[in-house]
Amino acid sequence: MSTSTAPPRPRSTSGSRAQRRAAKVSKTGFIAALPFLAPALAAYLVFVVGPMIESVRISFFEWSGFQGAPQEFVGFKNYVRIFTQDPVFWTALSNTIIWVLLSLVIPVALGLTLAVALNRPLFGRNAFRSLFYIPGVLAPIAIANMWRWMYNPNFGVGATLAELFNLPWLGEIQWLGDQRLALYSIFAAFVWQIAGTNMVLFLAGLQSVVPEHIEAAKLDGASGWQIFRNVTFPALRPITVIVVVLTIINSIKVFDLIVGMTGGGPAQKTQVLALWSFTQSFGNNEYGMGNAIATVLLIITLIIVVPYMVWTARQEKNS
Amino acid sequence: MSLSTVPPAAVPAAAPKPRRKARFGSGKHDYVRAGLWIALLFAVFIWTIPLIFMIFTSLKSEADIFGTPAFVPPWNPEWGNYVSALDRGNLLNAGANSLIIAVFKVPIGLLISAAAAFALARLKFRRQRLLMGVIAMGAMVPIQVAIAPLFQVIMGLNLLSTHVGVILPYIAFGLPYQTFIMYGFFRAIPVEIDESARMDGAGNWRLFLQIILPLSLPALAALFILDFVATWNEYSIALALLQSQDSWTIPLAIQGFQSQFTSSYGPLNAFTIMSVFPVLIVYLMFQRYFVEGAFAGAVKG
Repeated sequence: MSTSTAPPRPRSTSGSRAQRRAAKVSKTGFIAALPFLAPALAAYLVFVVGPMIESVRISFFEWSGFQGAPQEFVGFKNYVRIFTQDPVFWTALSNTIIWVLLSLVIPVALGLTLAVALNRPLFGRNAFRSLFYIPGVLAPIAIANMWRWMYNPNFGVGATLAELFNLPWLGEIQWLGDQRLALYSIFAAFVWQIAGTNMVLFLAGLQSVVPEHIEAAKLDGASGWQIFRNVTFPALRPITVIVVVLTIINSIKVFDLIVGMTGGGPAQKTQVLALWSFTQSFGNNEYGMGNAIATVLLIITLIIVVPYMVWTARQEKNS
Repeated sequence: MSLSTVPPAAVPAAAPKPRRKARFGSGKHDYVRAGLWIALLFAVFIWTIPLIFMIFTSLKSEADIFGTPAFVPPWNPEWGNYVSALDRGNLLNAGANSLIIAVFKVPIGLLISAAAAFALARLKFRRQRLLMGVIAMGAMVPIQVAIAPLFQVIMGLNLLSTHVGVILPYIAFGLPYQTFIMYGFFRAIPVEIDESARMDGAGNWRLFLQIILPLSLPALAALFILDFVATWNEYSIALALLQSQDSWTIPLAIQGFQSQFTSSYGPLNAFTIMSVFPVLIVYLMFQRYFVEGAFAGAVKG
């Protein structure tokens, strides 16, 4: 926001006001800030940063995870194993990538479309907005159960529609049992879950569109599409960056939906990195492998997040 | 982050040609609007199918579930499914666990985050931006990256399957996002307020508790609601840390019910409905905070 007008080093400015401010600043400093920071920093270090570093360390060891069991240093062996001997790792990696890419297209486009549609005065607009947003507040594990029931091959939506319209092929689809289809069936539930959130974000962004600019463009004879492309869309650019980053993060984190709908099956074809890491550590007692996968996930996340953080920091400095 | 400073789109200033075109196109405009409205109605119908489906099934007897198409309404509502769900799954126990955890986690976590955000946004010390960045980064890394070592930490503290044992990591994992949002909010408060408070002799604590926090009530309220829902719904940390069934939270109970009574579709859907009920009520009561929360995160962030 950079609304704070106080320069970072008040002493460099001159005048009595700056001196006054410098006197106050000397009351602060890191020691004065510490009591406010300490609880947060302690919790963050012990339960977030510490475990992350520990997970990198364990990735170089072979360990069953049982307390008292020996930890044997094996160097890069766990990485060699996941890259060369673990076919599920590659399935999980490619599924994670597919998930991220699809998420950047379908729910984002849907959210934007809904936001643009619901930004104009319409009868029942708030009810529409609420209904589209509701899935976003439900527990993903509850969503997984609802959708699992809808995909039930005998009594679910597909089966019911097949009977109604006499379409036997529709009734035969194994939504969650087909190895090629299952991932996309789960993804549909994900779209249902997050499109409303994207809509709300885009609606927030649309409030920064200046109505006068649209009026002006209309008077110049611009078509609806031209207005969207040249007026609305540029104003939405900052929010789009946020939606894209959030989408990537949420896609990498996907876990509950998959556990609840397939558990990674059939034949591990719906595994993703987050779940496979968890399964290796807790299910197979391969802590070394599990944490090596977690470390790969961490590196992928940092590759995406760090440039974004640097970029926003620079934006802030410039403004 | 400077996201509120949107550069105005480059639009040539138009000479004022009042209203001629608008009135001309209004007939066509109504037509488009009606079409849009119908399309939205249809979309909303599709969107609510999973919910309708779940509600219908939860009210059908086993014979009706297997005998009638899924979207036929339950003409003879079978409330027994709800009784049966309460009976078989330990919904009340899980609900109590979830509630206890949320009641402690949310306010404590918010207070700790607010204090950190206050130090980062309103006090001055070296490298504070870098520190904010390092904390914010925690919001973006998937929890699963740290979950196995976290399990070891909690086991080392002898806190597995306890409320405290999930409250602490929940607070820690909630901190980055909340601190980040609060930071944005606090920075938007004019510095002159601090200066005049200090003139009156207020120290850091008084400034934080009596001035900055009360001014931030809207942001706090929004974060409170969002965090309550997020805590209520959290699954993966709970899955790793809550081993005994007595300590399960709602999401674990849902999953437990579903794997134990795989084909009891009626009670299963009744169970799911009851489990999402508190969150739905919170959502419907505090709806505007969700929008404001998203707005704060998006624009103020």
